[in-house]
Amino acid sequence: MTEHDSKTVQKIHEELHSHLPSEPALRVKALESLLIEKNMVDPKTVDAWIDVYTEEIGPKCGGQIVARAWLDPHFKDRLLQDGSAAIAELGFDGAHLTVVENTVDTHNLIVCTLCSCYPTTVLGMPPNWYKMAAYRSRAVRDPRGVLAEFGVDLGDNVAVRVWDSTAELRYLVLPQRPAGTEDWPEDRLARLVTRNAMIGTERDLTGRMKETG
Amino acid sequence: MDGIHDLGGRKGFGAIEVAEKEVAFHEPWEARMRGIVRAISAPGDWSIDWFRHCRELIDPVDYLTRPYYDQWLQTYAAMMVNSGVATVEELSTGKMKAAVTGLRPPMAPEEVETAKKTNKRFDRKIDEPPAFSVGDTVRTQSHGAPGHTRLPAYARGRRGTIKALHGAHVLPDSKAHGGNRAEPLYTVGFDAAELWPDAEDMRDRVNLNLWQSYLERG
Repeated sequence: MTEHDSKTVQKIHEELHSHLPSEPALRVKALESLLIEKNMVDPKTVDAWIDVYTEEIGPKCGGQIVARAWLDPHFKDRLLQDGSAAIAELGFDGAHLTVVENTVDTHNLIVCTLCSCYPTTVLGMPPNWYKMAAYRSRAVRDPRGVLAEFGVDLGDNVAVRVWDSTAELRYLVLPQRPAGTEDWPEDRLARLVTRNAMIGTERDLTGRMKETG
Repeated sequence: MDGIHDLGGRKGFGAIEVAEKEVAFHEPWEARMRGIVRAISAPGDWSIDWFRHCRELIDPVDYLTRPYYDQWLQTYAAMMVNSGVATVEELSTGKMKAAVTGLRPPMAPEEVETAKKTNKRFDRKIDEPPAFSVGDTVRTQSHGAPGHTRLPAYARGRRGTIKALHGAHVLPDSKAHGGNRAEPLYTVGFDAAELWPDAEDMRDRVNLNLWQSYLERG
């Protein structure tokens, strides 16, 4: 039975702080060895999860969702209405996913000020900056300054919508489709979409068109 | 709790490291830690909310300076000691002194295929109808919570508008401390000017997902 008591855990943190091995790599190694010996972890399962996050689940999943939304207006409607149900049509699972659309006069930005909630099922592992204090503290108060640091110039006519992920709902930004991609096939459109565009720290994908052969 | 984790709107953290290389993991030990968390056979009374709370309880200096997955390690180690499945000595040496009983066998490699497509749901059926409707003006509670909560300090005592209802979801304030209460969950929109004395643009808005007990009619 677990006692869910804050003071007890705080004391345990202090004790661990002065006893665990000195380097993170050594600490993780000790933890994994112990968990294997206690039959709480199978190391081959750890390998399998690392493969999933390195090879399978990443921004390319989100890119496929965005490309389909750009090509199929009915899919896009369903996606904005119920993100989880719509991405299930493409074989992705994202319980409680909400998709927010960038338009000519609206820009969306995702953050988690309290921890690091991120649409992992469609974007994979979050970048470090997303989890660090600078982004988490500033995105809600200084979104335009944050965007400028990422090279995004919003201009005068755009309102910002920041989404602070305080519950188990996850957000994905649907970026605007660049002009001049009208005859592009779906897989090429998908490659045009960046991770940052789906977080909201990139806006105009026009500059990437040349790189996407 | 009024902890260092509650970072929204705090000043002084400087520039964002925008040039970071885009990879899933920067170090092999980070990948191991992420994999362990997915593979572990955890005590049945752990939850995502308890995990978040235990991370919030890390020493504030450590919280701001130690690498992210190192904090996960610290959090899991603390949860294990707290639940009696490991001791500080075992975690320091990596060697078992006492076996654990009563846990499920760990996830097998062939189970990953199904597990990766199955995400936990946090919505629940409750009898009580939601107290607020889309368009209602609400005010958030003005005080903090002694334990875990998901109402950030920057949004306390502020007026916002209900933008969406999401049915009932597990209340983190309850779940993190061993309870099981569910409440209506809303998306509440706050004008930037309501939140910040130095708001840059009056059109900007911050949307939060907030549970009913965080709100009163505004």
